[in-house]
Amino acid sequence: MRIKWMLTLASMKMFMRQREAILWTLLFPLLVVILFGFVRFNGVGSIGLGVVNEAGATGADLLARIKSVRTFEVTEGTRESEMGELAKGERDLVLLIPAEYAPATSAEMTAYGDLEAKPQVTQLGGLVLQRVLDESAFAGAPGLRRTALSTLPFKSRNLTYMDFLLPGILSMSIMQMGIFGVAFGFVSLKKRGILRRLWVTPIRPNDFIIAQVAMRLLVLLLQMTIMVGVGILFLNLHFIGNIALIYLMGILGAVVFLGFGFSLAGISKSEDQVAPLANIITLPMLALSGIFFSRSNLPGFVRSITSVLPLTYLADGLRSVAIDGATLAQVTPQILGLVLWGVVSCALAVRLFRWE
Amino acid sequence: MTESRNIVLDVQDLVKRYGAITAVDGVSFSVRAREIFGILGPNGAGKTTTLECIETLRPVDAGTILLNGLNVRTQSQEVKRIIGVQLQSSSFFDKLSLAELLVLFGEMYGRSVDPLALLDEVELRDKSRAQVVQLSGGQKQRFSIAAALVNDPVVIFLDEPTTGLDPQARRHLWGVIKRIRSEGKTIVITTHYMDEAEELCDRVAIMDAGKIIAMAPPQEMITTLLAGGFRKEKVERLASLEDVFLSLTGHTIRDE
Repeated sequence: MRIKWMLTLASMKMFMRQREAILWTLLFPLLVVILFGFVRFNGVGSIGLGVVNEAGATGADLLARIKSVRTFEVTEGTRESEMGELAKGERDLVLLIPAEYAPATSAEMTAYGDLEAKPQVTQLGGLVLQRVLDESAFAGAPGLRRTALSTLPFKSRNLTYMDFLLPGILSMSIMQMGIFGVAFGFVSLKKRGILRRLWVTPIRPNDFIIAQVAMRLLVLLLQMTIMVGVGILFLNLHFIGNIALIYLMGILGAVVFLGFGFSLAGISKSEDQVAPLANIITLPMLALSGIFFSRSNLPGFVRSITSVLPLTYLADGLRSVAIDGATLAQVTPQILGLVLWGVVSCALAVRLFRWE
Repeated sequence: MTESRNIVLDVQDLVKRYGAITAVDGVSFSVRAREIFGILGPNGAGKTTTLECIETLRPVDAGTILLNGLNVRTQSQEVKRIIGVQLQSSSFFDKLSLAELLVLFGEMYGRSVDPLALLDEVELRDKSRAQVVQLSGGQKQRFSIAAALVNDPVVIFLDEPTTGLDPQARRHLWGVIKRIRSEGKTIVITTHYMDEAEELCDRVAIMDAGKIIAMAPPQEMITTLLAGGFRKEKVERLASLEDVFLSLTGHTIRDE
């Protein structure tokens, strides 16, 4: 036990003395979050409008008219789900078409928007909606009753791109540390004969593996703490999650990717062989697992394939916990997904890992 | 065999194959306590493979190896505790100082070592805070020897420790090796420098193509050869070019 701990400590010391490692694992992810986080991808270009049509067929004509307005990016949903999205800041405005709505006879209709956080978008959206309502009312015959739209203030949490990005980048760095860190590190230890020198001492190979894994998990906990901490303190991260659950998911994710890292280290003889293999595994996930952009923009069949990627489980899970305050029960699918991938990757590592 | 009690390493009919190639082909020798035993031979003769079999790094195909009475094939973990190894072309972790490395290696044997005393042994005390990458070739080899001493081993294996070193550094390392022997250690060394074997070794085994083709003290081998009527073609000079080099450049080591 003592030697495992001593080896972990020594590995930690070595890691911390590597300036590049600190830069890449601790500073680089933060830098990405800061740089990308302040770029506003969703300006006033389009207005995210949620429509709750409780009037059924009666509301269909109005809905079609609203959809034809190019300023709106329309999503339909139930009152509960759309208001939820509005609360998260995923919608700018939510329009309620009540069950008793009848074109050209209803006097009032209500839209909700966060006037305080997004005044321009909310007001502009309200004006455009009123125009559409007017057009709809006067389309049949002029002189009929006008439906007046009142925009009611709604306090959203106004989640920003930062809130989306930070959990994603955290997942990304967990993946990179597991795959690149382990694979490159071990291949170099093998090639330079450092491992051979260890095997003439009485330590057991597993002691060394355990120390390596323990060191990386410690670094991971440090990294997660720093990123979430900096996010809350300086980047206005709307963190409402359970931090223990965040750590749990991070460790599960790390185990998955450490398994892949050890597998790669097993089948690669030199760093030159590691790089392309590691990129083949990581690049598609970076692009498709919803790290930088929401997967909802992907075509349907791609989206369903990408929903089972390990990085997707990790990023979705961390995001739900961090900014939606999801509970253990609510992220059970993600946790199960990670556990399954962990079993796969560790089994692969056991089969493929070689000391020489 | 009256001296069999003193034998610390006994290798009998050792065979090691790599696929179709037989790297070590029925090698037998034994090493006595406090002896410096040399294994000589050209590159590819099987010296390193022989050592690696003894050091538990390679599975043996046939033969027996007894180290202080322990069977290397079945008691490798116990064997590892009593040997000290300096490997050819192996390195140490980066980013740890020499002192930290020695402490860590000591821990691997469950020992708490005094790193400065070990560094004194190889004259590297002033480098205790340096990292291995900052050392010269001779210093690296001396450090490997210090690392091989952390467990106070019964036998120390040195695999071509002076290859690539300049004459001054080689001589300095010879001094270190002799001193360690004088402190009661048994040393097995491989080399392809004959002057080194002549200078250091009590007995040598000459290997070629996986077999030991001669084994005796160096002086005895020379006497036997001369008795057989051998004469050098060139007239023996009283100094060599190396003597010239050393008298011009001095014996002081340059790698510090």
